[in-house]
Amino acid sequence: MRPVQASASLRDVTVVFDDRPVLRDVTIDFAPGLTLIRGPNGAGKTTLLRAIAGLVPLARGARAIAADPLFIGQRTMLLRALSARENLTFYRRFRGLSADGVEAALAAWGISARDRDRPVEQLSAGERRRASLARIRTEPLAIMLLDEPFTELDDAASSELRTAIGAARDEGRTVIVATHAHPELDALAGATVGLREGRVIVE
Amino acid sequence: MIETTFWRGSVPRVRPLLGIVAAASFVVASYMALVWAPTDAVQGDVYRILYVHVPLAWLAYLAFVIVFLASIGWLWTKRPVFDAIAVASAEIGVLFTGLFLVAGSIWAKPTWGVWWTWEPRLVTTAIMFVMYVGYLLLRSLSPDFSRRATRAAIFGIVAVIDVPIVHLSVLWANSLHQLPTVLRASGSPALDSAMLLTLMVSLAAYTLIYVYFMSARISLELARQERSWATT
Amino acid sequence: MTGLGRIGLVAVRELRAERREPDGIVAAVTFIAVLVLLESLVVGPVVARDADIAPALFWIALAFATILATMRSFDRELEDDALEGLVALPGGRDALFGGKVVAIAVVLAIVALVGGLLSLVLLDLPLALPLHLVVVVVLGVVALPPVVVVDVVLALRLRARAALVPILALPVLVPQLVAASRGASAAIAGDAVGALSWAGLLFAFAVVYGVIGLTIVPAAIE
Repeated sequence: MRPVQASASLRDVTVVFDDRPVLRDVTIDFAPGLTLIRGPNGAGKTTLLRAIAGLVPLARGARAIAADPLFIGQRTMLLRALSARENLTFYRRFRGLSADGVEAALAAWGISARDRDRPVEQLSAGERRRASLARIRTEPLAIMLLDEPFTELDDAASSELRTAIGAARDEGRTVIVATHAHPELDALAGATVGLREGRVIVE
Repeated sequence: MIETTFWRGSVPRVRPLLGIVAAASFVVASYMALVWAPTDAVQGDVYRILYVHVPLAWLAYLAFVIVFLASIGWLWTKRPVFDAIAVASAEIGVLFTGLFLVAGSIWAKPTWGVWWTWEPRLVTTAIMFVMYVGYLLLRSLSPDFSRRATRAAIFGIVAVIDVPIVHLSVLWANSLHQLPTVLRASGSPALDSAMLLTLMVSLAAYTLIYVYFMSARISLELARQERSWATT
Repeated sequence: MTGLGRIGLVAVRELRAERREPDGIVAAVTFIAVLVLLESLVVGPVVARDADIAPALFWIALAFATILATMRSFDRELEDDALEGLVALPGGRDALFGGKVVAIAVVLAIVALVGGLLSLVLLDLPLALPLHLVVVVVLGVVALPPVVVVDVVLALRLRARAALVPILALPVLVPQLVAASRGASAAIAGDAVGALSWAGLLFAFAVVYGVIGLTIVPAAIE
């Protein structure tokens, strides 16, 4: 059964890389709430998220999305030479938002006042990841795509992330998370998509 | 799809005939160029290379205009056939441009006494040659079909827009230049009618060869595309 | 946020990164300094002083410096997929080209200043029209980046891109290099009309290739 109002959807989407199909005839509707994308390495989880975000050309099929999404990739997407504050402010300003709230968001994710202004390069991998996840708060968009967001997080930060995902879900945002682990998220999820070799196996 | 029936059905059926017509007209054109056309009063028999040189130049430019149009076609519609047309025309264009440069050198030696001269049209064509070698290199280094097609299309468009600008800048940079032989400022060609007829027949023959090569190369490329897409 | 505003944001972000980690600018400045020295040594100080030779060598060196700085700028973007973060933003694809061109033109202006001063001093060039030369150099610095940014984007993530970019960019840059070299030698030799007409041409090239890039580059970025 398909949800009545989908905030994002893919129809018969095939994505080909280097002449190899990475996604094959994928049709999914994403409703508000949390959707988990599950699957082993190389199943096409990242490509699926990038297809929803409109970052890969579709060999076949169509994509529809209700609003511009926030996409946080497997890597931090922060420019290493700039500080966390500069990076997050840039993203906000680009979306036409003010620079307000960046400090607070970084503080909430445990980035100290000193570290907020150091080049991201000098932070630890975990700090960089947390700085990038602070975008969930600084760019509060209706649709959010997170690719393996738990990578490099310690237990405290992981639980922080679960709380943030839960809060976003409760606000009626559409949250799509690709992860091969973290079974505890299942309790929060409204839907789970299983991927294997580029095909949807369970929905 | 229409394309499939066209390229799989009609084109292969017509191709042998096209090959025969192209070969026959090439024989006729060569006979006219080497035997039938009168000897030039000034240059003697050396001028006969004109019947190779001018058609090659025409095809070099035609091939790259086709690359340009096919590139726009790909960016606009994302139909793979346009990429096949672009790569076919670029490869054949590089071949003809290379032959044009060789023929130009051979002609330049007896007429001007040097193998190479910085004559603007020659320089422009040489730069165009390098651009399209770059175009083919870009293609060969891009493993992914759709990215390769898009990137190549963009370079194809930029390069074609660049060619006339290169030509003008080379013209302005050194003032020594001759006007093209067929299109003199006065409007009347400097060739006599028998020479002009020979030139026209040569142009037609070389164009037929281009069309023949294109049809073969496009079919090959479409077959390649199909094989790699068959895995999807 | 308007399109121009977004281009400005990308340019400012780029220049901040360059100031923090000036490897692009250092590489380009060192490169042009080495080339000016080498050129004068190789062709001999008398020939190198020629009003036609010095500008030609300078602009070819600057073209390579543009390629170096642009490739460094995109390498930095690829380190943590920052480029993808930018492209995923609404209007990100469109702002990328303009922002990079503006930022690289600024970087290039610094490189040209250093390289130009070095050429003038080392070669003891007799300069007839300094102001005209400045106009030519400024417009030349604006005319080079659009083509180079397009070609770096086309070669993005490809193997052998360090070799590919110059092969793609230099033939397309012929008009810019001819105009900039001729304009500079005209300014050095004291031909005011010549210098300004070549400068006008450089401006036209900057506009033409800027428009082409803005129209076409977004399609190339994934």
